Amino acid sequence: MARSNLPLPVPFEEIMSRHERGVMRFLLRVSKDREDAADLFQETWLRAYRAYPRLDPERDVRPWLYAIALNLCRNRARDGVRREQVITAVGNEKLPVDGSGKVYRTITENDGYAVVHLHQLMSALPAKQREALHLRYFAGLDYAEIAAAMDCSQQSARANVSQAMRKLKSIW
Amino acid sequence: MEIEKLIGTAGGEFKDEALDALLRRARRRVDSALKHVRRPQAAVGVVQSPLGELLVAVTGRGIVLNHYLLNGRDLAATIESVRPQLDLVEDPSTVKQIGEEIRRYLAGEAKALRQNIELILAASPFQQKVLRKLQEVPRGAVVSYQGLGSAAGAPKGARAVGNAMHHNPVPIYVPCHRVIASDGGLGGYGGGAGRKLQLLRSEGFALGNGDVKLPHSSVWGHRGSKIYCRANCRTTARVDRSRVWFFAGPDHARHAGFRPCKICRPDSAEL
Repeated sequence: MARSNLPLPVPFEEIMSRHERGVMRFLLRVSKDREDAADLFQETWLRAYRAYPRLDPERDVRPWLYAIALNLCRNRARDGVRREQVITAVGNEKLPVDGSGKVYRTITENDGYAVVHLHQLMSALPAKQREALHLRYFAGLDYAEIAAAMDCSQQSARANVSQAMRKLKSIW
Repeated sequence: MEIEKLIGTAGGEFKDEALDALLRRARRRVDSALKHVRRPQAAVGVVQSPLGELLVAVTGRGIVLNHYLLNGRDLAATIESVRPQLDLVEDPSTVKQIGEEIRRYLAGEAKALRQNIELILAASPFQQKVLRKLQEVPRGAVVSYQGLGSAAGAPKGARAVGNAMHHNPVPIYVPCHRVIASDGGLGGYGGGAGRKLQLLRSEGFALGNGDVKLPHSSVWGHRGSKIYCRANCRTTARVDRSRVWFFAGPDHARHAGFRPCKICRPDSAEL
């Protein structure tokens, strides 16, 4: 009597269970703080639920979702609700500095510290490059998805990531 | 220096077990926050009825959508348009009853249609009010656009009423087929004039295919005095038309609690 397979949108619950892990990991790595990440996580899903009916069913959910998460991270950083916190896994020992002011490190020496140092360097990057880098390496988005999430062209997504990498390598 | 590798390990201090625990906690928070903003859930499906294919949505509180599917693109567009108000879940078994109710109704069973109707998809408060007033018009009666406008507090709003009929989310259940032009012309219908004729015929109006006017057998019932007259009674010349319901015949008027006019004697045999 009734026809099946209506062109219905994917149920929101399904989207949530499919992406919640990835989103949480992304927020943890960007905010570096459990409480912040949990707050942002809740806000991300609330916003996503409200905005979901407006999402074109043809469009990909993942970049849309990370765009929401990214915007919230941006807002939080701008509002300065909490100061950027860096987890100091190991004490603040001085680094060997040569005449050019460059800091040299090797990954084998102390991984924990290297990660912290990396976060410091990343937070010094220009916003667009940092965000593109986050999406590429923390969320694992491909360039097309980054372009969709950041509302830019694929070329500039790729350029932002590679410039960020080049800069990081040069000051590492 | 493998900086890519290092970025890959950034955040590695959050181990899988810790992530799972955090996720469980955060998920609970999200669920309780979502409770306040959740849209009503609706069972949705396409049903076949004697009036053609219909897209039907039913919530726990009643039927919210009953949409004539007139062409192929209609289905996706309608689903898109109701998404901001409803969380849709496909459920053919729940909506199947609607097709059955409509079939029985057209066969003449007056009480076949369910009474719980929810007007959450009405486009504006005014349209919702108009649709509520329209629900008062009984089976076997019709009202003019102008009359319905007066009843809803907008005596000059016949066009606006027409608009509300056009956007009626629940046709058949909210009887927008019972609204006609003031001069007795049948007017249009979202599902096509043919369906309007079919519905009115099943409610007792003696209409042939292609008819565009109310039949002569219909009588005028005044909602204030609760008196019904023939259309050619001299009292109808000065009656306020916005307060008139047109009944299919004297029986229908009596059934709705009206009494016959003593001047034109609409119950007597000769017309």
